[in-house]
Amino acid sequence: MTDGIKRRDFLKVLGVTGAGAALTGCSTKPAERFLPYLTMPEDITPGVATWYTTVCEGCAAQCGMWVKTRSGRAIKVEGNPHHPISGGALCAKGQATLQHLYNPDRYATPMVRENGALRAGTWEEAENLLAERIKSAAGNVLFVSAHMGPSMTELVNGFVRSVGGRRVQYDALSDAPLREATRIAFGVDALPRYDIAGARLLVSFGSDFIETGASPVERARELAKMSAVDEHRSKGRFVYVGPRLSITGLNADEWFPIKPGAEAAVALGMANVIVGGNTAAAGPYAPVLRAFDPRSAATAAGVSEDAIRKLADRFMNEGPSLALGPGVAAHHRNATAANLAVLILNKVAGNVGRTLYLDGGPNTPTRPYADMEAAIRSMAGGKVGVVMIHGANPAYTLPAASGFKDAFGAVGFKVSFASAPDETSAMADLIMPDTHFLESWGDSEPRAGLMTLRQPVMLPVPHFQAKHTGDVLLSVGKRLEHDLGGTTFYEYLRAQHADLHTPAMGEWEYGWQDALKKGLVQTKVPPRHTDTQLRAPHSALTFDAPPLDGDGDLTLLVYPSPRFGAGEFANSPWMLELPDPVSKITWHSWLEVNPATAKARGLEDGDFVTVTSPYGSVKVPIWIYPGIREDTVALAMGQGHTNFGRWADGTGGNFMSEVLPATAVQPAGVLGVNPMTLLPAVAEQPSGAFVTLATKVTIEATGEQRRLATVEGSNGSQEGRPIAPAVALASLKPGEPAESPSVEKGLKELQGVGGFVPVPAHGGTPQAFPLEGSREPPYDKPEETARWAMAIDLDKCTGCSACVVACQAENNVPYVGEDQVMMGREMQWMRIERYYEKVDATQAGDLDVRILPMLCQHCGNAPCEPVCPVFATYTTPQGVNAQIYNRCVGTRYCANNCPYKVRVFNWLRYTEHIPEPLNWQFNPDCTVRDNGVMEKCSFCMQRVREAENRAALENRGPIPKDGEIVMACQQSCPAEAIVWGNIRDPNSRVSQVSANQRTYRVLNDEINTQPAVNYLKQVTFHPVEAED
Amino acid sequence: MATVATERGALTHPDVHQFDEVNKDIVKILSRPGKGWWALFFLLGAGVLLFFGSWAIQLWKGLGVAGLNDPVGWGVYITCFVFWVGIAHSGTLISAILFLFRAPWRQAVYRAAEAMTVFAVMTAGLFPLIHLGRAWHAYWLFPYPNSRFIWPNFKSPLIWDVFAVTTYFTVSATFFFLGSIPDIAAARDGSTGLRKRFYQVISLGWRGTDRQWHHFGKAYLFLAALATPLVLSVHSVVSWDFAMAIVPGWHSTIFAPYFVAGAIYSGVAMVITLVVPMRKVWHLEKYLTIKHFDALAKLCLVTALIVSYSYLEEFFLTWYGASVVERASLWNRMFGPYWWASWTMLTCNMFVPMLLWFKRIRHSIPALWIISIFVNIGMWLERFVIIVTSLSHEYEPFMWRLYRPSHVEAGILIGSFCWFGFWFLLFTRVLPPVAISELKEVLPPPMRKMRKAEEAHP
Repeated sequence: MTDGIKRRDFLKVLGVTGAGAALTGCSTKPAERFLPYLTMPEDITPGVATWYTTVCEGCAAQCGMWVKTRSGRAIKVEGNPHHPISGGALCAKGQATLQHLYNPDRYATPMVRENGALRAGTWEEAENLLAERIKSAAGNVLFVSAHMGPSMTELVNGFVRSVGGRRVQYDALSDAPLREATRIAFGVDALPRYDIAGARLLVSFGSDFIETGASPVERARELAKMSAVDEHRSKGRFVYVGPRLSITGLNADEWFPIKPGAEAAVALGMANVIVGGNTAAAGPYAPVLRAFDPRSAATAAGVSEDAIRKLADRFMNEGPSLALGPGVAAHHRNATAANLAVLILNKVAGNVGRTLYLDGGPNTPTRPYADMEAAIRSMAGGKVGVVMIHGANPAYTLPAASGFKDAFGAVGFKVSFASAPDETSAMADLIMPDTHFLESWGDSEPRAGLMTLRQPVMLPVPHFQAKHTGDVLLSVGKRLEHDLGGTTFYEYLRAQHADLHTPAMGEWEYGWQDALKKGLVQTKVPPRHTDTQLRAPHSALTFDAPPLDGDGDLTLLVYPSPRFGAGEFANSPWMLELPDPVSKITWHSWLEVNPATAKARGLEDGDFVTVTSPYGSVKVPIWIYPGIREDTVALAMGQGHTNFGRWADGTGGNFMSEVLPATAVQPAGVLGVNPMTLLPAVAEQPSGAFVTLATKVTIEATGEQRRLATVEGSNGSQEGRPIAPAVALASLKPGEPAESPSVEKGLKELQGVGGFVPVPAHGGTPQAFPLEGSREPPYDKPEETARWAMAIDLDKCTGCSACVVACQAENNVPYVGEDQVMMGREMQWMRIERYYEKVDATQAGDLDVRILPMLCQHCGNAPCEPVCPVFATYTTPQGVNAQIYNRCVGTRYCANNCPYKVRVFNWLRYTEHIPEPLNWQFNPDCTVRDNGVMEKCSFCMQRVREAENRAALENRGPIPKDGEIVMACQQSCPAEAIVWGNIRDPNSRVSQVSANQRTYRVLNDEINTQPAVNYLKQVTFHPVEAED
Repeated sequence: MATVATERGALTHPDVHQFDEVNKDIVKILSRPGKGWWALFFLLGAGVLLFFGSWAIQLWKGLGVAGLNDPVGWGVYITCFVFWVGIAHSGTLISAILFLFRAPWRQAVYRAAEAMTVFAVMTAGLFPLIHLGRAWHAYWLFPYPNSRFIWPNFKSPLIWDVFAVTTYFTVSATFFFLGSIPDIAAARDGSTGLRKRFYQVISLGWRGTDRQWHHFGKAYLFLAALATPLVLSVHSVVSWDFAMAIVPGWHSTIFAPYFVAGAIYSGVAMVITLVVPMRKVWHLEKYLTIKHFDALAKLCLVTALIVSYSYLEEFFLTWYGASVVERASLWNRMFGPYWWASWTMLTCNMFVPMLLWFKRIRHSIPALWIISIFVNIGMWLERFVIIVTSLSHEYEPFMWRLYRPSHVEAGILIGSFCWFGFWFLLFTRVLPPVAISELKEVLPPPMRKMRKAEEAHP
């Protein structure tokens, strides 16, 4: 190196050329003025992500979260693998909470109503106003809130006590009937805990447990574990009992399409069979059991007596079983009794203490709607001076019949803590926007013995002057001269956790820091409830299906949407554009109708109908669905907002309308409808839950029609192609691995944290790559070059679609709007295909629905590559089919030639239309694609590169550790169905998982594409045709 | 120039008696245009504005203004590309191949056919640009030296297209221009003023000397020989855009001959479509006789039979191949949502031209003209059917989607006809639309006395 360039000179040259490049630039846009950090924040390194632990507040499940931030902006949320609920996964809604954080429609300032109109105000003004009004309300203060963490609950209770008034908890979705039934049956005021994974036969009586309810992510994981084939070639059986197949139901092996509301009859009929003549086993419920013999149950439910008897036999004999009681969609007027019936069934089958535990839970009993009814009455009666609403949107989630709007409107001073507009805050006199949970301190106690701490992961988004409601209450309390215990909520929270200290932790502060880092504190678990004798109800309960209102010929099912919940996610374009896991429809509402019903009325997909109940009517297009009974129609909650932000209201997000006003693809008719319009306002007795299954409806075609904004092209059939083949359990070959290998350990570990657990080899072979004769030289040093590959176990995949949103968030995939989806231009890099093989809504029997996540298959012999005229796509030496965006000229030949149809094109300037600050979510490690280029799954190349660079820096060689790189989709998958890694390494998980007799590659036998994605066939109990 | 032995009984232009007459008749067309011409000029000019206006909208907004979507990435634009390249083919066939084969009837029609070729390639060549997502990077498809040492992907049929179409345009434009030189000189001699100066420049000093004729003849022959293989190669290459892909409905070895035959078929039909009104307007009946149309009609019939055979062959092989995917694709093509396009195509290309078996039809100019319009429509639809129905119904049933062309695509489609027509219209006023010098070759030598004697004593 004597004559070579010196280091100093090299740096000079580098500096000069670098500056030259920066000045002349290759950018087409003028550079903005950049300001460097004057004082470098300690925990921010430009270009390096900082991760924070926190807790998701997307629903009541409270999954632990890790949040990736870059330069102080949250850009991705992932499950916290140390958290017992999320187990490292998240659902689609959890992923979409980021879009709430950056929701451009959030209130920018406190809003004060003046002369009938809202105007921007200051916090000082708002807090003074509130203090003044509370003072003059003289003790008549009502605080309506949704579920909150224990500290926040404590603070609000303290506040309400100090100023005089009361707090009402109102949750739009709640498990109150189950809680009440558990209290009646066992005297435990808590939800039971299930061991789904431990069951060999799971019967869901209308419980959509992987999409709504207490803990969807956890239960999806458990369901996958239960129903996956194990090393003994056996798998748990899942039976769904209910009038409509939700995405939970679509995962079942058998379907009992019972009449709506007949869950109790079937459960009791089964219990009757199980106890035989010995009805005394049911304790105080013996007379009930006698009343529901299998024959009368069969009549009540509309399925054969034989089917019920057989199911009961299996329930008793097929190992540990478990039955889950009706969830929100099946909450009718006797929902508590129905849940009780299911608990009785579990009891007589011996499941209590085996798969169902009575642990006790956090002491937050609620009577969600009954309490609200009382509150509405007192508001209407003029007994409330100031009403404050936090975290709930009853003006939308309650039917008009509840009288909420009138009563609320009648209150003298209405305060909303909504951070973004909703129907309730639109009526408020004062809006004090709360911070988003990712900007807030807090805690939660999702179950007994588990306390989780929430910390802000970033400074509040500067576009919005939001303030934590806890801070507001403390500040207002001070103005009213009440000492609530602290000046900021942070202090208050720390004081609440003063008992955090354990001797092992040393100082309290260490314990606090540690808890923040981990995100959870295990507190004392209340003793397990051991007295499991059934107790008699204190009031009479009816187990029959209750009569429904109206004389229509169709029963209306109203179910919580897996995408929107009760409506709180309706302003997220990711959620709106995520194809519904069942219907595959995006953006708009639809009414599910059985094919026979539709045929009898001459209806087709997209025909508008008027749905009329005694309480109102809505106009909605129909979607024909074989997974619903002929006498039933279904409508999802969550849409039809009037004041919830641009996308929910249907005023944002259509590209074509901007481009060509007169185009023929304008979405016709309404975007969404709110099914609450059709419902009465009834509180279930005795639990006080809101009754959703309450009415019959008539449907009448309006003569209008629209194209459904669906992403499904084939009407549910595989058309004789082995896209998602299955294999019958009985035809699994002995001697070859067929089990779903457990991959959970270490899979969800973060970068460098560790978790590499080598799996012993048993006959895995690396996939042949590169192919003979291809441009790539053959591998002679497998230790130096990886062949990245993926394995997806279809026996585990539930179709929940969390992966789709995770991918969208990680890879800056734009949403495109309803009109673009209708034209077939959705941009998601993954799609969940759903094919019906056997769906019969007329009788109980086998159910066979195939669900397959499709993404770029990273073919070793990729058809897309030779056709590209400019080499914009090619196979990397690691077998990844790479797409070079800035080389792409947009011929779309690659997409034409892709047999999997996984390539998506940027038809318009989609990313430019993403409004500030929603674009703050963009991942800086991933290119934001412009108009006119092709894109597709990149195997999260930015994650691969990051890990490879780290491995190089740490002198670990060119290939990162197995499990060190985790795909975004894989990370989010609650079922742990996706595995990714180096298939050249026989010890890698992906090799282990792929070495399975169920492994196949889609269409490879037909067209020799040599994909890098191995699928493991779904395993069915019934024989399947064409098992290849 | 090659002389063609013509017997008196087989005169192609029995009503043309004198060489001078030819000059006068043809150069007359170049004189001051009438109202009809101006009306057409403005109409087509407006169409050209529509063409570029629509394209400008697309460049500004993005390709999304077209109706394309994710499975159907190619639609009207590529249909038009293939259609116009196909149209181009018969010009070269008539001028080069028939020249080499010494067909005596080509002289009257070949100039118009050649002009058609050049303008059709000019139209076709725009479509690959129009259809690009990022048209401003189109030059990346050319192998130009660059600092990144990136060449185009020579495996891609689209690169073959680039070479095929540019070569074709170069050769056919040169051929067209070269063949016109003696006629431009004739026009020069018959014009005055600015016009004369213009012709003086582009006639390249043609004086009609023996030496010039000698060189001209050689050059023409060589160019004809050079252009001939292009007739076969260009459309074969275009067909490989499809045949090389694995899309069911595209992946077929029959595509090259099938497309070449189709191209000639559509081109001949387009020649008939264009020449019939020219003949009528400029009273060229004595130059474009019924014999010419009879010959064109026969060429049309032959290619119609080849194309029909290809259709049947495709049906048979799809059935015989027993691939689920291919069969479904074909079934969808014939009975799926695009059935109307397929059946219209079959009617126009397979059934209607069978009328040409009848001499009476071949000798009826209006009937021929109508049939040629049918063939034009049918051949456009053929490309539409191949491209759109195949892409909309591929391997993945979940991604079966339909394509509906948008207003912008309609604008560009209509605009492309206007763009083509606009050039052709200008051509008819600028260059002699019938080859004067070559026509004279097939006229009997000027033996005034003998002719008079014959007339006197038949």
